[in-house]
Amino acid sequence: MRRLLVALAVLAAVSASAKAQESKYYDLAKGDYPHDVAVGPKGEVWFAGQKAGIAGRIDQATGQIERIPLGKNSAPHGVISGPDGAPWFTDGGQNAIVRVDPATKEVKVWPLPPERMPYTNLNTAAFDGKGRIWFTGQNGIYGRLDPKTGDMKVWDAPKGRGAYGITGTPKGDIWFVSLAGSYLANVDLETGAATVYEPPTKDQGARRVWSDSKGRLWVSEWNSGNVSVYDPAAKTWKQWMLPGEKPRTYAVWVDPDDKVWLADWAANAIVRFDPVTEKFESFPSDHPGSNVRQMLGRKGEVWIAESGTERVRVIRYPVKTN
Amino acid sequence: MREAGLRGTGMLLSMLGILLPWIASHADEGNATRGERVFQRCFSCHSVDPNEKARLQGPSLYRIMGRPAAAIRGFEYSDAMRRTGAAGLVWDAATLDRYIADPESLVAGTNMSVPPLRDEQERADLLAYLARSGQYRP
Repeated sequence: MRRLLVALAVLAAVSASAKAQESKYYDLAKGDYPHDVAVGPKGEVWFAGQKAGIAGRIDQATGQIERIPLGKNSAPHGVISGPDGAPWFTDGGQNAIVRVDPATKEVKVWPLPPERMPYTNLNTAAFDGKGRIWFTGQNGIYGRLDPKTGDMKVWDAPKGRGAYGITGTPKGDIWFVSLAGSYLANVDLETGAATVYEPPTKDQGARRVWSDSKGRLWVSEWNSGNVSVYDPAAKTWKQWMLPGEKPRTYAVWVDPDDKVWLADWAANAIVRFDPVTEKFESFPSDHPGSNVRQMLGRKGEVWIAESGTERVRVIRYPVKTN
Repeated sequence: MREAGLRGTGMLLSMLGILLPWIASHADEGNATRGERVFQRCFSCHSVDPNEKARLQGPSLYRIMGRPAAAIRGFEYSDAMRRTGAAGLVWDAATLDRYIADPESLVAGTNMSVPPLRDEQERADLLAYLARSGQYRP
């Protein structure tokens, strides 16, 4: 009887663990090269097919993939889901901000002023609280587009090249990081002026940044292998190194419950960090060389672009119910 | 009159026969000044400045011509690039042209994530610009 109870207990534990998270992979066309992925509030999934110059849309129900060409020389790096429910792309090849209408699939292109810099190496975008889209260009710029008027402004990034990930906070503020400059910056939404916040780790190589529900900025540090957080209210930094030998932290996304999801290239895994317990939990890819450059999600789902395997992965996890 | 017209056409064709191959070969020649502009695609991760101080994600391209792949001491290359270097890849106009045209096809698993540069003339211009810093010296 006792043996049976133990066996049942083990079975229950394994079953609970299996239910704790599940992964699903979507194979894309060879050459699509999904650099970034975004999921909208209704569950529509878009990816930036950088090498094919396409917007990809994954139908979660059927698994069907629709591919929409974005224009001549297109090479979209980033994609986010805008407040209008549409996918917005930072298209390095066209040196432009690009929107795809989710219903009509119409493509609208806002080129950057070419006389300033013909190729800015556009990276990522984020919306502020006023419906304007802010973007970074790795060649050393950041900018702002008001889609209603078409007004676009571009500024030189502090310390030159390196402007990389960008995020909006719940209040609508905009922050970005620099990979070559190893800093976090906050922009004045009206003047565009950037204020630099130096992290405690020198040359940390910030790839991306994401805000939690309290407006704290979580930074994935490529060179140091850390995840760090800056609290603008307390003006404090804190950092943790990811597990394993020589971790390489690339992507970061903070879920609605303020758990921090990270991509570690050294471990070929997605890692979840709980800021309360300060514990990491690993979700390895089932293929080597997944090379995850970015992820985005919504409650209960994190969507992951595996540029190295040309797949999009989703991890579904149990959510806290209030 | 008709004969003169034919002679004229013949001369024109002969001239074109001489000129067209010359134009074609010279279109393939790289132009370093234009190449500097193409280098904007590489600029965020690479430098051709021997005194570059920024910590960039890509290795220096100063005197890249003739350099074995993964040869800069202390630079953290991808495993794929290290393996390819150990197998004997040397950067020259031909190998660089292939790599820039499609990085993955030459070094599968490379960290370099730029989209392929498909325009032949742009590649030729970029290579002319890179060659300007001289040959590799170990």
